[in-house]
Amino acid sequence: MRVNRHNYEINATPRLQVLSEDQIEAIYYASLRVLYETGVRVYATEGVDVAHAGGAIVEETTARSSLVKIPPDMVDKARATVPSKVVVIGPDRRYRMELFKNQIYYGGGSDTPFTLDPYTGERRRSTYQDVKNFARIAQALPNYDFHMSLGITQDTAVGTYDRWQYLAMLEGTSKPINITAVDIEGVRDQLEMALIRVGGKDEWRKGPIFSLYIEPVSPLSHSREVVQKLLFCCDNDIPFVYTPCPLAGATAPATLAGLLVQALAESLFGIVLSQLRRPGAQIIIGGLMSNMDMLSTIYCYGSPEMALLSAAYTDITKWLRVPEYETAGCSDAKLFDEQAAMEAAINIATSGLIGGNMIHDVGYLDSGLTSCPDLMVASDEIIDMVKRILQGIEVTPDTMALDVIAEIGPGGHFMEHDHTFERFKTEIWRPKLIQRQNWENWQLAGGQRYGQRVHARVIEILESDTAPLLDEAMFKEMRRICELADARHKDEELDVKMFV
Amino acid sequence: MSQTLEQITTGVIEGNIQGIRQLIQKALEEGLKAEEILQNGLIVGMNEVGKRFKVAQMFIPEVLRAAKTMHAGQELLHPLVTDARAVRVGTIVIGTVQGDMHDIGKNLVGMMCEGAGFEVIDLGFDLSPETFTEAIKVHQPDIVGMSALLTTTMRSMGHTLKAITEAGLREKVKVMVGGAPVDAEFAARIGADGYGHNAVVGAELARKLVEAA
Repeated sequence: MRVNRHNYEINATPRLQVLSEDQIEAIYYASLRVLYETGVRVYATEGVDVAHAGGAIVEETTARSSLVKIPPDMVDKARATVPSKVVVIGPDRRYRMELFKNQIYYGGGSDTPFTLDPYTGERRRSTYQDVKNFARIAQALPNYDFHMSLGITQDTAVGTYDRWQYLAMLEGTSKPINITAVDIEGVRDQLEMALIRVGGKDEWRKGPIFSLYIEPVSPLSHSREVVQKLLFCCDNDIPFVYTPCPLAGATAPATLAGLLVQALAESLFGIVLSQLRRPGAQIIIGGLMSNMDMLSTIYCYGSPEMALLSAAYTDITKWLRVPEYETAGCSDAKLFDEQAAMEAAINIATSGLIGGNMIHDVGYLDSGLTSCPDLMVASDEIIDMVKRILQGIEVTPDTMALDVIAEIGPGGHFMEHDHTFERFKTEIWRPKLIQRQNWENWQLAGGQRYGQRVHARVIEILESDTAPLLDEAMFKEMRRICELADARHKDEELDVKMFV
Repeated sequence: MSQTLEQITTGVIEGNIQGIRQLIQKALEEGLKAEEILQNGLIVGMNEVGKRFKVAQMFIPEVLRAAKTMHAGQELLHPLVTDARAVRVGTIVIGTVQGDMHDIGKNLVGMMCEGAGFEVIDLGFDLSPETFTEAIKVHQPDIVGMSALLTTTMRSMGHTLKAITEAGLREKVKVMVGGAPVDAEFAARIGADGYGHNAVVGAELARKLVEAA
């Protein structure tokens, strides 16, 4: 008997699934074996102590680290308290991320050493002004839900750059920000800045305006700074992203399932440690996993495996019911060219279809080394298209329009019908920079390639007048925090200028 | 050309670590000199690997297997050659600098340098400037190679170079740097002797630095 599945399962939103539930469970239980049998190396005694007090087995302790083995029941216990939803809200409270199953939000990536200069096209070390520019672009683009720096401020002090970088971002955007920090002192300073921006601790509790990016080192290593940051976040109501970046064939097995097992073990350690420190601590696990290119040795940001792994990991996190950090809008191309557009379109679509939560690295080129404003603008339109696809097709008596079809009948047309007039705007997606004019009109409009139109939009955003987001007193107060940090760490800087 | 030498060449290209020792033993029994085996067998193989890698006919895991095979052969020949430098072109001390735990790039450079005929002393990661200076005193290397993945830890490269200079060791070693955020301009700013933009170039650079010395 032929059964119409749609009678049982309404699939109003198109979606993708990479792993079956059986496969997810196989990977999950394999990760538990890694945590218990192989263990993870922890380079911070405070982290080892927390894990040990919670029941972990501690072995092979050296002057710098211990091997920590996590029995499965510790993971069960942690999973009982880890939140299935994390919320981050921008200083402008209209910009809200509710990170839970299938909720998609796109945003930039952080800390690229290089920027493609919007005026000269030159690839150069990124500066404070670049970081501010990227934030302004993110502010102007409707499909950017959160922001990451898209550049390291390299014209500021090296050891305290994180505070300046945050200040530059706050100057440009009032959306939620995923920050980076040199160490916990850097987190503390940025938290102080955030409290000034949002108006105190109570406001922060209503909705933290940043999350912290924390990256353990694959394979299975959790450095001192990483563990300290995790514990600090738990103690201070700071949501954080705990994202290993395993590389198939280099820092993880070449087989994608093996990489997923390892990545999950790395993330689960973060979940266990955070929930031991404070049940309910807000962790987002992720999200950047790819293959090493076996010719160039680069970390692939545009490979099909990157998109596939991210999607598979989303399946796992949905099953775990833990918010997820995902990767898309990025490419290995050196410029915003055809390759960049193609790779970004593929990974943006995949991340949307799978329902990844906090989808970062939009605007990355050059394997994560260079940020590109043009790719940001183009990605905004790609995301828009993907969101249209995700709206799916509503199937109701009204949308099937039987009466309209009957009314028009064979050989008529629908252009003048009220049904068309009323529904075309809500039903049919409209492009912004994508050009659909016929040849003659396209030529009359300047005959520009897509890339040229994208670039014109970048310049338009950068040269538009926008009201300052920070009032002068607030800016001064935050700047003071940056300067004090510089002064405290002055002696650690080199005698020579490192970058610019 | 002896058939055994050809087999040695093929052995390197195919990464036949188990077979290479027997083949070298066979070549020696046939009366071939260690220098000949090295020059006309192992090195010919490794050069071919380099060529094939450049045109995408061989890939990193295969190159590394070949380098390991080459190294196993060199170790066997080392006591037999009259000019030790023919086998061991130099000694390199490598490590990831203080504050940085990322060592995949450094490991890759190490393996490539071994394949290029260096004795490689890998100090590990998160290394203080003093660890480097002490290692220079102990191992007397020709080259020191430093790696970093973060801009904040790139600063440690500068500190390490300063420590090497202050310890009076700067004239004794060449210093090369690498890592994703590092570039040639930065290498020049901190006074390093060279920068390799990937592991293969790093190993080539190491050879150039010892040949120039």
